[in-house]
Amino acid sequence: MHAYTEKIREAAQRLLTEKKVDAVIGFRHGTVPMMSEPVCVRHADQVHQLVWNGFCGINLANYLAKRKDRVAVTAKGCDSRNIVIHLQENQIRRDQVYILGAPCHGMVDRRKVWEFLKGREPLQVMENGSSLKVSGKGFEEVLERQAFLQDNCRICTHRNPVIYDELLGDPVPEQTDVDRYEDVRRVEAMDSEGRWRYFNDLIASCIRCYACRNACPLCYCPTCFVDESRPQWVGKTLDPTDTRTFHLLRAFHVAGRCTDCGSCERACPMSIPVRQFTKKLEKDVKELYGYEAGVVVEGRPPLDTYRPDDPQDFIK
Amino acid sequence: MNAWEPKIIAFLCNWCSYGAADLAGVSRLQYPVNIRIIRVPCSGRINPKFILGALRHGADGVWVSGCHPGDCHYIEGNYYARRKFALLKSLLEHTGIEPGRLHFSWISSAEASKFAETAREVVEAVRAVGPARHFIKTKPTWDDIEAPVQAACQVEVG
Amino acid sequence: MLKIFVPKDKMPRWIGRIMDGARVFAPVKEGDGYRFRLVTRPDKLDFSYQNTRLSPKELVHPPAEAMFSYSLKKGDPKAGILEEIPKALGTRVVMGIRPCDAKAFQLVDVNFVTDQYMDPWWQRRRQNTVLVGLGCHEPCSTCFCTSVGSGPFDAGALDVLMTDLPEGYLLEAVTEAGRALLADAPEGAPASDTVLTEARFLAQQAEKALPRLFMLDPLREKAMTALFQEAFWEEVQFACINCGTCTFLCPTCWCFDIQDEVHQQEGVRLRLWDSCMFPLFTLHGSGHNPRNQKLQRVRQRFMHKFKYYVDKYGNGPACVGCGRCVQYCPVNIDIRRVAAMMTASCVCPT
Repeated sequence: MHAYTEKIREAAQRLLTEKKVDAVIGFRHGTVPMMSEPVCVRHADQVHQLVWNGFCGINLANYLAKRKDRVAVTAKGCDSRNIVIHLQENQIRRDQVYILGAPCHGMVDRRKVWEFLKGREPLQVMENGSSLKVSGKGFEEVLERQAFLQDNCRICTHRNPVIYDELLGDPVPEQTDVDRYEDVRRVEAMDSEGRWRYFNDLIASCIRCYACRNACPLCYCPTCFVDESRPQWVGKTLDPTDTRTFHLLRAFHVAGRCTDCGSCERACPMSIPVRQFTKKLEKDVKELYGYEAGVVVEGRPPLDTYRPDDPQDFIK
Repeated sequence: MNAWEPKIIAFLCNWCSYGAADLAGVSRLQYPVNIRIIRVPCSGRINPKFILGALRHGADGVWVSGCHPGDCHYIEGNYYARRKFALLKSLLEHTGIEPGRLHFSWISSAEASKFAETAREVVEAVRAVGPARHFIKTKPTWDDIEAPVQAACQVEVG
Repeated sequence: MLKIFVPKDKMPRWIGRIMDGARVFAPVKEGDGYRFRLVTRPDKLDFSYQNTRLSPKELVHPPAEAMFSYSLKKGDPKAGILEEIPKALGTRVVMGIRPCDAKAFQLVDVNFVTDQYMDPWWQRRRQNTVLVGLGCHEPCSTCFCTSVGSGPFDAGALDVLMTDLPEGYLLEAVTEAGRALLADAPEGAPASDTVLTEARFLAQQAEKALPRLFMLDPLREKAMTALFQEAFWEEVQFACINCGTCTFLCPTCWCFDIQDEVHQQEGVRLRLWDSCMFPLFTLHGSGHNPRNQKLQRVRQRFMHKFKYYVDKYGNGPACVGCGRCVQYCPVNIDIRRVAAMMTASCVCPT
């Protein structure tokens, strides 16, 4: 069992018994390998459901916006950054949320494991420190965990929560020698037509289920632009222009706010690397305005502020 | 025969650039007729959807113009807009919209000649990239599952 | 009915001949999953898949279907008249469909073809489609067809059932359309008793690998309102993010939305997949939304599958146990767990 599990249960028990919070939001064991299900525990006698493992990739800040009660929540580095953004955007008050910070070693990408197994179905996946033991009918493989992390985790530079009330373990060393934008630069190097085709192929299989949007803690608009009908900005068929409009605007709506938590990509049933849209914006925001989303509560997100001397070479 | 003329949607802010267009008119300054002007209260009013909307409707280029920084009628609307535009232009060009299609400028209501000059510049730039080929929303033509499947299949199955 | 055995090396020839007279759809590897696609070369068929990512419902009920077109031009004599868009609805053969996905078509038929109404596109496509099913001798761990009244070799909704044997395929005709397909197969020979025994054994093994996880029968008796008000919905709904993954991947989710797309003076009336997970699904013109809460929407999906459908049609449930929603739900809401809660007879390992 992961070392955090006991600590989460202990904290949940304490917070619920002392009535410090009304509920604890965390994860429970999933029903399929390499999945954990977000759960909301309201009574101290249910805290045994709470677990922690390398499959807790979904961003729990998604369950916090506009809440009225007081909750405790387990938060990885990225989750904590999204909580910071919620605070900046007045989606929740700081005194409403008790953050159980989880220094994180990255989350496992089950698609990478599937790909490795080439059609063999994993029936059980166990974590043991830096290895993953995957077993199924007639096979057992021990994999190096690091090689099967989500793409965003491999280049994560905020593994430790940036804000918390208690920490579930010692801070982990931050990755400092990662190149966050290698893939963006590769696309940038293509010519215009090549980039058009690249993104065409990227979203060709999109079924417009909006899992990427809904898995995102930043997408809390009461009415999404795709649902607006007067005027209707985007058609609802699988027309490539409509699909692209959706992906472009979804990405633009999270510009300067996206923490690259990877929930969108993790949620996509068609395995579309949707982060290719948001990462470009993240890179631009960093280069133009020197801002990283959700790292400090003070100050405003980059599109909610300006400097008189902002770059404007592109303006005549 | 090359009868194609670029169609450009120009979003002009009410207080500066639209005034400049007006002044250019009364001053009888010549500029190309390829621009269709939509007046907006402020460049800060420009929602990225407007720009995407113009392209989706088949515009060959989009030009957004507002007051000079510091001169905004609403004090800071164009400062906010500037950040939005920088990111949007970069994102659209990153995903394959040609760089010559999107244009931004600051033109005060006194700068009629700058307006005419920029209009020429924009039209020439769009003319240089040619008619819009991408990101145009058309009437759904596929009427049966077979049609798109077949196309996709040829790629997949050979 | 006719039962023949076709050796593996002769299959492409048989399929090739089918391709001469019909369009053949079969699973094709696309990205990291499989999808039913039109296949034009028999050697490209790939039956090594377990389950396709999207269900084959898109072959009969496409994600977006242009139904009518109309003109708004002034002076056009046809202005304002809806004209049906003609479709090329020739004979189609779906090769390698899983018994569960075929069963789904049968379950959805009751919605599109009733005594009073008949959906022309659904009905015509259904009539023109021959389903050549592939028995599942290696079901996925997320499969639960046996718990919802079907099975890995359930031929009930198929025209032909194929069993993948080491040397070749056993093809069993189930319907007249299936028999016609097999009658014209010189590649095959009448199936021997050995082959039949071997196939039975495989089917039994597969069936055994899928223990029944819950009994749905008590749901028929349970009062709908009682089920509706159960406390467990609160727990079930929490993780849901209201995306459309489960409904879009589901072979039995048939709900659609009708929308007009107008392009200047011309318009098209479209039918599009919709999802009861979306708030917009039930939004009234007045602004009122009877399913405004996430709990209501999540409950709707499961109640529809396991209770409303069963009550309305005396059949069902409207779930075939393909396990797609279990596998791909981004937050791991497991329909097996929910069904067990609803039937209060949980025997599934949690």
